[in-house]
Amino acid sequence: MTERHPLTDPELIALRHGTPPEPARAALAARLGADAAGRATVAEWDRQDTALAALYGPIAAEPLPETLRTMLDRAAREDAAPRHRAALPKFARLAAAVLLLALGAAGGWTAARLTPGEGAAVPVALAAIRAHQTFAVEVAHPVEVAATEAEHLTRWLSKRLGHPIAAPDFASFGFALMGGRILPTETGAAAVFMYENATGQRITLYAAAGDGSAETAFRFVEAGATQGFWWIDGSLRYAVVGEVPREALRAIATVAWQQLT
Amino acid sequence: MTTLDEIEAAIPALRRYAQALLRDRAAADDLVQDCLERALARREGWRGEGSMRGWMFRILVNLHRDGLRRGARGPQLSVVGEGMAELARPGAQEGHMALREVQEAIARLPAEQREALLLVALEGMSLAEAAAVLGLAEGTLASRLGRARASLRAATGRDLPRQERPREEGTEQR
Repeated sequence: MTERHPLTDPELIALRHGTPPEPARAALAARLGADAAGRATVAEWDRQDTALAALYGPIAAEPLPETLRTMLDRAAREDAAPRHRAALPKFARLAAAVLLLALGAAGGWTAARLTPGEGAAVPVALAAIRAHQTFAVEVAHPVEVAATEAEHLTRWLSKRLGHPIAAPDFASFGFALMGGRILPTETGAAAVFMYENATGQRITLYAAAGDGSAETAFRFVEAGATQGFWWIDGSLRYAVVGEVPREALRAIATVAWQQLT
Repeated sequence: MTTLDEIEAAIPALRRYAQALLRDRAAADDLVQDCLERALARREGWRGEGSMRGWMFRILVNLHRDGLRRGARGPQLSVVGEGMAELARPGAQEGHMALREVQEAIARLPAEQREALLLVALEGMSLAEAAAVLGLAEGTLASRLGRARASLRAATGRDLPRQERPREEGTEQR
């Protein structure tokens, strides 16, 4: 196979984008070596590809739009939900939440970027972030009741919250429960659990009585370096906040949601 | 990696491809959103045959073709280069193509050449991968790519000696 005639476009395409079997590929490559016009064409295609990459490449580096993020979060929660027996009513409620979320997305009010002035739109998220920012930096008294008094902590917080609540277990993420405290809110007492990992990073789980709002899927909020996910489930409003990466925080929030249901 | 992770991992490329295909930010976002919605709804049925990327691109291409069919009755309004003004600034002529020229040339390609070219030239898919996405025989795809590459070369004035690059529209094969 020592043909000297120039490569056709389909042959050049096969060589460049295809996976021709070996003897054929080598033969094409050899012919290209002797085909100046073919090489110029390939060089031109390189420039075309470079131009396309320059035009559209940056889009792939952008963070995911919030709408898509929300859809994925919702799907993750569906996957995380138990699929048997008691799961059905839960699913029905989730479906309603999903519908609300879709309506919300259509109205353009997906994840709020929190600034103090917008706080009223997502009070539970703002309260959780405030609680976290206030107590996470505490060295002496980060919690009122330490995790060592687990039983007392659970009973006390459940009583004040008016709803049974036990601290979720985030050990699989390396976060151990430090303890909890009570904070005032406009709808009564809120329960706050604080966790810490081996590097001293802290996250806060915040639970407060609902204000009658409908259930939601996860919503993302951020205020400076503090990020959080909040949601409404049943009669309670929850938020998980901290300075950990968003992906990790979402995983933690998903586990919290599973364990708190 | 869970199915959901794989779906998420494919999204940046889908967004890039949709933007290049439609050249309109809002329309591209809508297309990707529709694609994701469909993929999520069908993820239970995903058996892992082929690549997730290929599967999602197939969904997106089909949605796009549906959209073209629906829109074919009325006049087609296509916004060229919206949101791209920064990138498309001419300059650095030597060795680089003027990006605006390439963008406009891509816009003038027939739809089926555009969808094919962008899969291999922008997304780096192999002939086999792209043929599966588009539902074409590899040979058909290869000749389509050849035509697209040649049109692009003609439209950017690269098939002529460098000193005289014609600027009039319509002098090349249209």
